Amino acid sequence: MKQLNRRQFLKRGGALLAAGSLPFSLVEVAFGKGSEENFTFAYISDSHITHIKGNQFVRNWDRGLIRAIAETNLMDPRPDFTFYGGDIAQLGKPEEIDHGLEILGGLRGKLYQVMGEHDYYVDLGEHWRNQLGPDHYSFDHKGVHFVVLNSILTTDEWTHQNWETPMHRMKAMARLDNPNGSPFMVGDKQREWLKNDLDKISKDTPVIVFSHSPLQKIYKGWNFWTDDAEQVQALLRPFKKVTVLYGHVHQIQYNQIDNISFHAVMATAWPWPYPSSYKQAESHLPKLTIEMNRADPFHERDATGWQFINVATGNVDMHYLLPDNQNRIVGFDRELGHPVDKRYQLSKNAIPPQRHY
Amino acid sequence: MLKYILLCCIPFLVTAAPLGLPPVPVPENNQQTPEKIALGDKLYHDKRFSADGKVSCATCHEETKAFTDNLPVSKGFRGLTGTRNAPTVINSAYMKTLFWDGREPDLEGQSKQPPINPVEGGLPDHIPILKTITSDPDYQVSFKKVFNVAAADITMEHVSKAIASFERTIVSGNSPFDQYQYGGNKEALTVAQIRGLDLFRNKGRCVSCHRIEETQALFTDNRFHNIGIGFKKIQGKEDETAHNFLQQKRAEKNKSAKDFVDIAVLSNERVSELGRFAVTENPTNVGAFKTSTLRNIELTAPYMHDGSLETLEDVVDFYNNGGRVKETDPLSNFLAGGIRPLDLSDEEKADLVSFLKALTSPKIAKLAKQ
Amino acid sequence: MIKITLTLAINLLILASSQAIFADEFTTEDLQRWQAEYQSVLDKGEKLFHGGIKSKNTMSCDQCHPNATNTHPETYPKFQQQLGKVVVLGEMINWCIMNPLETDPLPLDSADMAALQTYITHERRGVKLEPGKH
Repeated sequence: MKQLNRRQFLKRGGALLAAGSLPFSLVEVAFGKGSEENFTFAYISDSHITHIKGNQFVRNWDRGLIRAIAETNLMDPRPDFTFYGGDIAQLGKPEEIDHGLEILGGLRGKLYQVMGEHDYYVDLGEHWRNQLGPDHYSFDHKGVHFVVLNSILTTDEWTHQNWETPMHRMKAMARLDNPNGSPFMVGDKQREWLKNDLDKISKDTPVIVFSHSPLQKIYKGWNFWTDDAEQVQALLRPFKKVTVLYGHVHQIQYNQIDNISFHAVMATAWPWPYPSSYKQAESHLPKLTIEMNRADPFHERDATGWQFINVATGNVDMHYLLPDNQNRIVGFDRELGHPVDKRYQLSKNAIPPQRHY
Repeated sequence: MLKYILLCCIPFLVTAAPLGLPPVPVPENNQQTPEKIALGDKLYHDKRFSADGKVSCATCHEETKAFTDNLPVSKGFRGLTGTRNAPTVINSAYMKTLFWDGREPDLEGQSKQPPINPVEGGLPDHIPILKTITSDPDYQVSFKKVFNVAAADITMEHVSKAIASFERTIVSGNSPFDQYQYGGNKEALTVAQIRGLDLFRNKGRCVSCHRIEETQALFTDNRFHNIGIGFKKIQGKEDETAHNFLQQKRAEKNKSAKDFVDIAVLSNERVSELGRFAVTENPTNVGAFKTSTLRNIELTAPYMHDGSLETLEDVVDFYNNGGRVKETDPLSNFLAGGIRPLDLSDEEKADLVSFLKALTSPKIAKLAKQ
Repeated sequence: MIKITLTLAINLLILASSQAIFADEFTTEDLQRWQAEYQSVLDKGEKLFHGGIKSKNTMSCDQCHPNATNTHPETYPKFQQQLGKVVVLGEMINWCIMNPLETDPLPLDSADMAALQTYITHERRGVKLEPGKH
């Protein structure tokens, strides 16, 4: 089927998800500039497939990924491609990566991958790269420059210290609140690569960066953190429209720092509390963010989900598909110059489940 | 008929909520009066509101069958079958949405749909109903008395309000469980039923959707979940079914979206399995159906939205297997996050069934015996 | 006789002043010792919370609750929707052990349960009590 852009499709009245998400008039405004290069892609992340023994995997995480894929496959028109945001596995075992990739095989269309720390720290990404290719790369699509970074590296000292086994290192990194952890970073080598990559494109080109860690400094205690965030942001500063999409945090977050919009994506596996709920330490959740609803742990898919992203004239609208919850849209507001939650941004619209205290 | 009104209305008119239930919610714009209730009762039983003069609300929601029809899927006009099992009217007053997929927000809205569905009442629209009413002298008098409306001005709003009023009196609590839990009578449940209650709260994982609380038990959370029933009919064809359904819905010119959905879900098995998605178009709602109340469940077999489970034992087995009839069946890709294998022993399963039988109200049981 | 009694009495007084043998007195030494007792259980609770409960599905409490966040011990007792009644913290801990962790619950009066509650509450220290708050 010929790829239609959103406006053409809406005019034909066959949109499966479009009009159900944004009021029709808003959609027209978002795409009103007449660009034929608007497009949609899907984003699934953080499935944390966990091996128990033999052929047994943790049922909860398997079901989360299966469901996200089944729902993504309902999208009509089909998204241009899907991104997977990292942490296929929980402890980086080949069984886990392979089982996750097997489930992802049910997804229709092209799939791009981002490295997560849970995929990396057992074998420093060897099995992942064997299966999936390089962990940092770029490509262009409909006038937008896409960059994928491996942003979960850390210091050589920590990585190559005298670990009892590689799995000890993996488990140390897997524990979110590990007091003996080590901060994520992109690192000198990759920043050099990024600089060269970005040198090749004009400053008017919209750029979308995929990173597992936030490329911001939110809360170091849980590695909601990229140590060289400022340096990476500096490389992105010359461009007019930049969006960073990141996983890792398992919650809704969004921010605007100068020209860069930041959006976190939901995990398919489980949600994490907001760092501000840890009262013994200070954290810096972007003030813009209206939190996701607190989960009911009985409903295993509550506060999990997947998302699709509309790219319109180089800015990003994030549509969160949230089982057991109202879906949410965080769209780029051209007048305000930053992302805005379409329903809840005014604090008076916030609902009790969003109060994380 | 009158017997039933006497049984239920008297406690209602003294505004005591049944034991184990909160007061019945009554909308501002449709207050209860004895005359309105009686009118609603009559309308509920009036078979003339169907294409062959043989189908009324009571056909599928009959008081001697705990306000259901004890069929897997209901039979309407000319014995035509739909795709869904008739839910009980008992305690439907506490529902926040009506129908298995919640496509109507209230009892008033619900009552208008079945008469004009081809497999239920079979009427093309509501006009024949209003014609029957306005040319019936008894109805003329009743409507005037209840709504102060002249015959020519009677609308389906009046009709549906009266029916809803009647349905708001079909409430029942005071089951052996209620007497045990809220009435302080520790002898009201058998030992097996007490074990069953504990399983219901804990290992059985029932209580999160089939709510029991400190002062009341609605046995429903009023939400929609895909528990894996019936998905085999749509397995592997979810995208195709969803896509075609939505295309047709958008292309429909002659009917409202609401009527289109009402007809489509009852006439097409695969569309029916879309569940709540057919109403919300939200991919996270595929195959999701409303949590039923469990009150009087012993009397409302067969079970589930397609009537596919015959006995309570079958139901408990289905949940025990984690959302499938046989342990070896595949699971729906859209399965709700609350469904998982339970690992219950045979005795535990029997205890749960025992407990479910303790949810029958004496007065409903009495009606069923008649 | 009187001399012996007097000596005894004086010795007792000396003894009393150096080690608190009166029930209503305790020393800074006692406080430190008791704090260490508490810390030992806190440490045990921290370990249990971080993978020490041998769950059937390998899950641990800290996976969803880093630093015991989002457990809200200061809101208990409260009406717990998942249990359908008002419960104390330990009952909800057991709910989590049975449900997300798919494992057998702990007796409410067990040492492990006490240790878990110690760790969870400790990570929430300083937050005011708000029983019943959802």
